Amino acid sequence: MRELALDALLTMSWVVLGYTLLLDLVMLALVLAGARRVSASRRWDGSEGHEEIFASPLTPGVSVLVPAHDEEAGILDTLAAVLAQRYPVLEVVLVDDGSTDRTFAKVAERFGLVQVTARPTAALPVDGEVLSVHRATTGDPLTVVRKTSVGRRSDALNAGLNVARHPLVCMVDADSLLEPEALVQVARPFVEDPANVVASGGVIRAANGARVSRGSVLEPRLSPRWVVRFQVVEYLRSFLLGRTGWADANALLIISGAFGLFRRDLVVEVGGLDALSLAEDAELVVTLQEHLRRQGRPHRVVFVPEPVCWTEVPETLSVLGRQRRRWSHGLAQLLWKHRRMIGNPRFGPVGVLALPFFLLFELLGPVVEVLGLASVVLAAFLGALDTSTALVMFGLALGLGTLLSTAAVAVEEFSYHRYTRGREVGVLLLAGLLENVGYRQLHAWFRLRGLVAALVRQTPVWTAMPRTGFTEAEPVAVP
Amino acid sequence: MNSLAAPAAVATAVLGVLVVVLLVAVAAVHTSRARRLAAAQENRAELMAVVYDLLDDGDEQAVVDAPADLDEVLLHLLPQLRGADREAIQTALTRRGVVARAVADLDARAAWRRGRAATLLGSTAGRDHLARLTALLADRSVEVRCAAARALGRVGDPAAVHGLLASLTTARPLPAGVVGMAVLDLGTPVLPALRATLVTGSPAARALSADVVGLHGDVIAGPALAELLTDPRQPEDVRRAAATALGRIGDPGSTDPLAEVLVDVALPALRRAAAEALGRIGDPAGAPALLAGLTCPAREVAAACGDALVALGPEGSAVLADAAARGGPLGAAAAATLDAAPRPGLLVGA
Repeated sequence: MRELALDALLTMSWVVLGYTLLLDLVMLALVLAGARRVSASRRWDGSEGHEEIFASPLTPGVSVLVPAHDEEAGILDTLAAVLAQRYPVLEVVLVDDGSTDRTFAKVAERFGLVQVTARPTAALPVDGEVLSVHRATTGDPLTVVRKTSVGRRSDALNAGLNVARHPLVCMVDADSLLEPEALVQVARPFVEDPANVVASGGVIRAANGARVSRGSVLEPRLSPRWVVRFQVVEYLRSFLLGRTGWADANALLIISGAFGLFRRDLVVEVGGLDALSLAEDAELVVTLQEHLRRQGRPHRVVFVPEPVCWTEVPETLSVLGRQRRRWSHGLAQLLWKHRRMIGNPRFGPVGVLALPFFLLFELLGPVVEVLGLASVVLAAFLGALDTSTALVMFGLALGLGTLLSTAAVAVEEFSYHRYTRGREVGVLLLAGLLENVGYRQLHAWFRLRGLVAALVRQTPVWTAMPRTGFTEAEPVAVP
Repeated sequence: MNSLAAPAAVATAVLGVLVVVLLVAVAAVHTSRARRLAAAQENRAELMAVVYDLLDDGDEQAVVDAPADLDEVLLHLLPQLRGADREAIQTALTRRGVVARAVADLDARAAWRRGRAATLLGSTAGRDHLARLTALLADRSVEVRCAAARALGRVGDPAAVHGLLASLTTARPLPAGVVGMAVLDLGTPVLPALRATLVTGSPAARALSADVVGLHGDVIAGPALAELLTDPRQPEDVRRAAATALGRIGDPGSTDPLAEVLVDVALPALRRAAAEALGRIGDPAGAPALLAGLTCPAREVAAACGDALVALGPEGSAVLADAAARGGPLGAAAAATLDAAPRPGLLVGA
């Protein structure tokens, strides 16, 4: 019996080792592809200047949709940042999704809202009851939709889509701050290639700790919390370089819900956002690609590594756990719903590259990681653990993980240089090392729980993240 | 697993070395950045003095003798200048050999070199390199093709319009938006060519030409656009572009064909474009068709009709008020439109 258990352990160890190496190598390839694209774009970005896009009469109007549930901490900053966008034709649709705090009151007071009769431009199904529609009297192009909450962001976005009037819709989280040129940069692909581009996304960075004034990030700073610092490295690695790499392979699957731009007519055509999905942003991108691919219509999903959206990331492990469980649950829903696309060459690089990757490495990754850890503990318990070999293998995994994170921080330093203080760059590099021990395993555990929730068909619940608001910069003393 | 331990240890060591190399590189770049920025700022101040001398009294020799960093300063300034100052900078760049190097780079192996060269020629050169830039519209890199199109737009020679329009349908087509902006940059001298394209061009070229003549407000193109709009054999995007163009031109003579399309055609996107165009034209004769569209099941069409009626001004508001008074579904839609119409009196400070 012991022999059998040892054989099983050995096989499992081989599988886990091979899997981990393969995953890290694929990630390294993605990061390198992204780094290559980013550094090439710094040499020559190959695109039209922002001034030309801003001034072009061909630039389409954008409706910015901001779903908000209990966002009183930062809603005025978010709206200030959106309304300050340097964009020629813009409207903002804030959807107050059943807030129980002063979100609506603050907005009503600041913008002098008056109630108007709803005049929909689409008839997407909305489960919550739309209570009223308001318009700003301050001259700002702001519409506010009040509705009851059904606990789903997608429902709020569909309510916003129903009153959006412009050809493009930009979805922005209510805890996010857009840089003034962000919209014009992310809209550029639509201006240049209006027949093909159906969606584009920009870079998301963690705003926690940054100095903010009236919706503008004056100085990016690192939060003193390590859980935030780990996420900063993770965002650089996965959201900046990973997505740039996927977009280069024409296989971009995710445009972050915090900042994404879509063609409104197509979003309406596919029935809006999936009401039951917990990963409604990725779900929308995949649905659009499946829909258009089936109809043989041209389409491109673009990632623009320049425009920046600053967003609040979880500051505690419990909130992070809830967020990552939701992401994992949502990914499982997405892969199940679109299972016919997985490995299917008819759906191009998305079918044969991105979806299999997300199935094997993103969704099932935590299973293998947790099994690997369990096998080590079991082997030690059975006295079959070869300590020196285990240490070497651990060192290899640590080395690969650290190389990935260090490469991401290096690209950030060489290309964007957002963190100007040497100490902060050092902390980021250290976080890239430390995240491999503890954070990565905990992250795998959160994701595993999300996968289990999906497997037992737990009712999807969109839990709001507690907001702390942005760190206001202290006023500069005038001598 | 023991057999793997040795190669794994070697691989780990290699990874460790790579990480250390990256760490050293990051530290070096970070610590030297401040010094380099300070030096560049000092250098730039000296170079700007040379540029000011050039713009004031035309001291070209000093510019020719200045260090290589001056090229970047001149290229940065170029888009911000017009007239004699711009020409002086262009001449200086030519004398410093920047233009000649860019011409040589048009054949470079690296796409970014070809693209950057095309961009530079678009900003600095006259019409001498039109043929080279036009040939670049068929480059294997889409970024380079786009850069060539933009460069042709900036050079501003109307002869480039044919190559640009043809590039929409070649084996390596250019995105319509890039071509559209380049053709717009060529200005009104290309209008005759665009009018001819409305009749004889490919569907993509017809749609783009319709867009551009509309943006120029070219009244002469009105009949050809109306013909495209009402011809059911035309692709929908061509008809939509024609509708939008007619709205931008604003000739009340287009009200009838637009109203006809709004009432008779089943394509929501085209009907919406027709409604928006009627709103832009502002001719009260379009009100009956717009009022009928107010109860269209396609919400986007109904909303566009409402906006257009409001845009007609007092006549449109009167039509809406009359319909609202009569009640029913149409009355409710008319009342909602009136309620949602912008009310300037509510603006703070108004």
